Amino acid sequence: MQFTYSKVYKLLSKEEFINNAKAGKVLARKCTKCGHLHLVTTYFCQNCGNKSFENTIIDGKGSVVTYTIITVPPDGYEKYVPYAWVVMNLDNSELRISGFMANINSPADLPLGTRVKITGYDERGIILEKQ
Amino acid sequence: MEKVCVIGAGSTKYGKLEDSITDISLQASVDAIESAGIQPKEIQAGYISNVFGIADKQVHLGPVIMSDLGIPEVPSLSIESACGSGSVSFREAYANVAAGFYDVVLATGVEKVTHTGTEWTTTYFSYCSDFFYEGGAGASFPGLFASMARAYLAEFKATEEDLAMVAVKNHDNGFLNPKAHLRKKITIDDVLKSAVVASPLKLYDCCPFSDGASAVILCNEKFAKAHTKNYVEVIGSGRGGSPAALQGREHITTIPSTKLAAQAAYKMAGITPKDIDFAEVHDCFTIAELVDTEDLGFFEKGTAVQAVREGRTKLNSDISINPSGGLKSKGHPIGATGIGQVVEVFDQLTGKAGERTVKDARIGLTHNFGATGASCAVHIFKSV
Repeated sequence: MQFTYSKVYKLLSKEEFINNAKAGKVLARKCTKCGHLHLVTTYFCQNCGNKSFENTIIDGKGSVVTYTIITVPPDGYEKYVPYAWVVMNLDNSELRISGFMANINSPADLPLGTRVKITGYDERGIILEKQ
Repeated sequence: MEKVCVIGAGSTKYGKLEDSITDISLQASVDAIESAGIQPKEIQAGYISNVFGIADKQVHLGPVIMSDLGIPEVPSLSIESACGSGSVSFREAYANVAAGFYDVVLATGVEKVTHTGTEWTTTYFSYCSDFFYEGGAGASFPGLFASMARAYLAEFKATEEDLAMVAVKNHDNGFLNPKAHLRKKITIDDVLKSAVVASPLKLYDCCPFSDGASAVILCNEKFAKAHTKNYVEVIGSGRGGSPAALQGREHITTIPSTKLAAQAAYKMAGITPKDIDFAEVHDCFTIAELVDTEDLGFFEKGTAVQAVREGRTKLNSDISINPSGGLKSKGHPIGATGIGQVVEVFDQLTGKAGERTVKDARIGLTHNFGATGASCAVHIFKSV
């Protein structure tokens, strides 16, 4: 299954977000009024309601908050089983991001807190790997 | 605001059903109408909750159901809010009666998906997540709750056996429910030995995909008193929202929308969690029941697991959680579930719950959410 990009995504520079992910970075939006950081899919500041943001590029490194190992996958992911879907803390920020991690067979392969990084973006979504 | 009452309730069996989505909607609706002792012509509006009508070739269900009830002129609203569709729909029905727009309305929830198979349902259910970050990166719904589970087990030193105890308890209750989908008792060992779906959750940690329909009749107090003595009053109604993606939440092991909805409902009812005799909560996965019963204020954060170990949530213990069997055993026809919970509370508070009756119960609560709790509604009911 493939993504199709709506105009809304383009307005929110989703493509730019994806290009950054491919380079191991996270494109975030920093509120120009209160400084609150958001992922790029936000139109209004969740903290103060302000509408203007400046782009902030964050290094896509951090640690595992939680994850699962999928053995019954949605359509399109059969050939990757088993794989992990991971939520990570981004270093030096309160932001978290989640993504796909290949070749995780058992919880012993990925203790909570493991150092991970974004390494790309493709038909599997945001791609994470161990550092 | 008008006082709002529930005067009739009906449900099909939950499980793999042969009849069409329209047929089962009608079966539950007619059940509710006859249970209320009213005529379809008295209904002034319909609220119809459903998610995947497309799977059985019927969306825009409202007018079809109204037409088949012989009241095509009556307005209806077809509502989708993922697994929380039923309770969100009930809330809209409640609000319209409370506001005085209508005296009496029908709320019917329905789902018909089992014929599509596990791959279809796993894939389409993943569309209920924040797809760009979750479903679009390979997360299934069991996977999202499994991620909550792993964080909970680590934070509160709980075990997979503890999760299994929730499933065993709900199957014990569902065994007593003639309409339950998985009407069998299970053991902790059964759960632990079942196939891993999304680690650490196994098949028996997960509710089944179910077909089913449930319906209730809501009305104002004047109409209720004129028609029946056996009804329940809605004394609290609350709604809340959460960041759609798990990554956007401050705590992975708390669902903010549940807290917001519960606070609003308790405030309206003028009661506290201690006053609740029993609750139907959204246990789509075993981990969810632990999180829910903490977010609803029945237990302090991190202590629901201890309560389950001590059997304090069993039928007729401290607080009966999911006397119907819950989503886990009774089944989870996602568009119907929130209405089905109201049917259970109605049956409990009007003496129709048979072997699974919560003794001396006067106040019951329903809690139902969409996706990983991105949308939520809580309702509180009192016997009259």
